[in-house]
Amino acid sequence: MAVQDATSEVLVDTLERSLRNRRIAKHVGIFLTLTLLWELGSRMGWLDPLFYPRPSNIIRSFWLIYFQNANVWFHLYSTISLVIIGWVLGSMLGIGLGALVGFNTVIRRFLKPYVIVLEATPRIAVAPLLIAALGFGVNSKLAIIMLVCFFAPFINTLSGVINVNEERLELFRSMRASKTQILRKLVLPDAIPVIMAGERLALTAALSGALVAEFIQRDKGIGSLILVYTRNLNMASAFACIFTLTIIGFLIFKGMEKLDHYIAYWKYEGGRERMSSKRKRTMVEP
Amino acid sequence: MVKHEQSMAAAGDVVVSGLNVGKTFAAGTVVALENANFDIKRGSFVSLVGPSGCGKSTLLRLVSGLIEPTSGEIEVHGTPVNGPRADISMMFQKATLLDWRTSLENVLLPTEINGTPSKADKNRALDLLKLVGLEDFAFSFPAQLSGGMQQRVALARLLQTGADILLLDEPFGALDEFTREHLNTELMRIVAEVRATAIFVTHNITEAIFLADQVVVMTSRPGRMAKIINVDLERPRPLSIQTSVEFNKLVEDVRETLGAV
Ligand SMILES: Nc1ncnc2c1ncn2[C@@H]1O[C@H](COP(=O)(O)OP(=O)(O)OP(=O)(O)O)[C@@H](O)[C@H]1O
Ligand SMILES: [Mg+2]
Repeated sequence: MAVQDATSEVLVDTLERSLRNRRIAKHVGIFLTLTLLWELGSRMGWLDPLFYPRPSNIIRSFWLIYFQNANVWFHLYSTISLVIIGWVLGSMLGIGLGALVGFNTVIRRFLKPYVIVLEATPRIAVAPLLIAALGFGVNSKLAIIMLVCFFAPFINTLSGVINVNEERLELFRSMRASKTQILRKLVLPDAIPVIMAGERLALTAALSGALVAEFIQRDKGIGSLILVYTRNLNMASAFACIFTLTIIGFLIFKGMEKLDHYIAYWKYEGGRERMSSKRKRTMVEP
Repeated sequence: MVKHEQSMAAAGDVVVSGLNVGKTFAAGTVVALENANFDIKRGSFVSLVGPSGCGKSTLLRLVSGLIEPTSGEIEVHGTPVNGPRADISMMFQKATLLDWRTSLENVLLPTEINGTPSKADKNRALDLLKLVGLEDFAFSFPAQLSGGMQQRVALARLLQTGADILLLDEPFGALDEFTREHLNTELMRIVAEVRATAIFVTHNITEAIFLADQVVVMTSRPGRMAKIINVDLERPRPLSIQTSVEFNKLVEDVRETLGAV
């Protein structure tokens, strides 16, 4: 019985893998064809090479900005460090305030109209004002990133804290749990998955926020680099920068997914199994 | 058998009592419970049965101290109830386990709330998981358990508190017939084993009689205790007792009180 199960599992596995390989092959094929068409169109003059640089040129630009001139690293470092710092600060502020507002009904009622107004206003519109107030430089860039990062964690933490399961709350009360215990053992862990979802949105927003700040300030960062290349009509290098951002965006997505599996482990089968055997080990060993 | 005789010997002292207990909601417009008087003896198993909305949960929550009566008074172990207390433990229709905790950690929750669990507490929790037949699932998360298993974890958690008065609000109501019957039998065994006093809410007349020493029949609008019926069936009770003449007389009695016949 067990042997049979094992074989059928292996079979399903190989079948899935071959299907997956075929799917990947298909995607790669389509991508290569499109790239080739683009290259061809550019060479034949169907596409204006000024605005649609040839893929081969973009690849050359990648080589240029990363290795030959190696000028992208400085800007990449500037953008990424700002994004991370702004994200951490902005979302920490969001989570903290969200929890505070969630717990205090008085503050909540008082703040509600402001939250609605803030939610309806595109945060990025405030960027020029922040620059006017804080001047050019790191401070206003960070402020803009924090502003766009703040909201999703704030709202998600708030709703996570407010929407505590009534039955669980009653359970804790019947066990005579203190307010802090209810917070630490029920409300916060319960809100973790929804807070993580907010963090994911915030990090994506942080990247956009950084770009806008750089577009305005034009001093350094990938955003200002794109601006410079576009003005010089060096579209191939501009595209190389844009694809760099695509890769960063993808890494952010994957990274947050990993983090979610790690922190909100009970939501995932793999996470549950991992923690289950881990808890067993720590229980048995000491 | 021996255990049962002991609990009979200890009978006589009342552990939970209510005097003219009433509870209204919505500024007095909803009368959830009216003029309830009851004495529950140590070690007895009391079933509360009645139609939806007759105040069963309200009565249980009043006894647990989660809510306060509008009138009258409830005493537990001779002291008035004015808030949740250590000698009472409650279990709900839903398992209400914490998803991020293993079975063992869920069972340890009440101990954690009273302080840091010791090695002995952990062993006790493991013993209780064994008692409910889940020793192999101590390190599983709720999402890895069936509904019946989750409810058994909740039962172990209920017992972990060490309270001697157990309040059960339709604990197996959401489960299928087979699982429910099985868990009821287990519950009867376990409650006798730990010598607790139990108040058990159900919609199911057969279940109410099968488990109980006393069945409190409640009627609605306003919620009232219509009748208290003593169940003098011998213990341990096999499932087959449900087809006996005496048993069916009791069913008849409850039905008549409810006005459902
Ligand atoms: N918090 C509350 N606010 C207002 N009304 C309530 C509240 N709790 C209970 N009630 C009302 O009190 C009455 C009794 O409710 P209760 O939950 O005790 O019934 P029940 O016998 O447990 O019903 P069920 O079998 O459906 O669980 C109902 O009419 C209900 O609407
Ligand atoms: Mg109820």
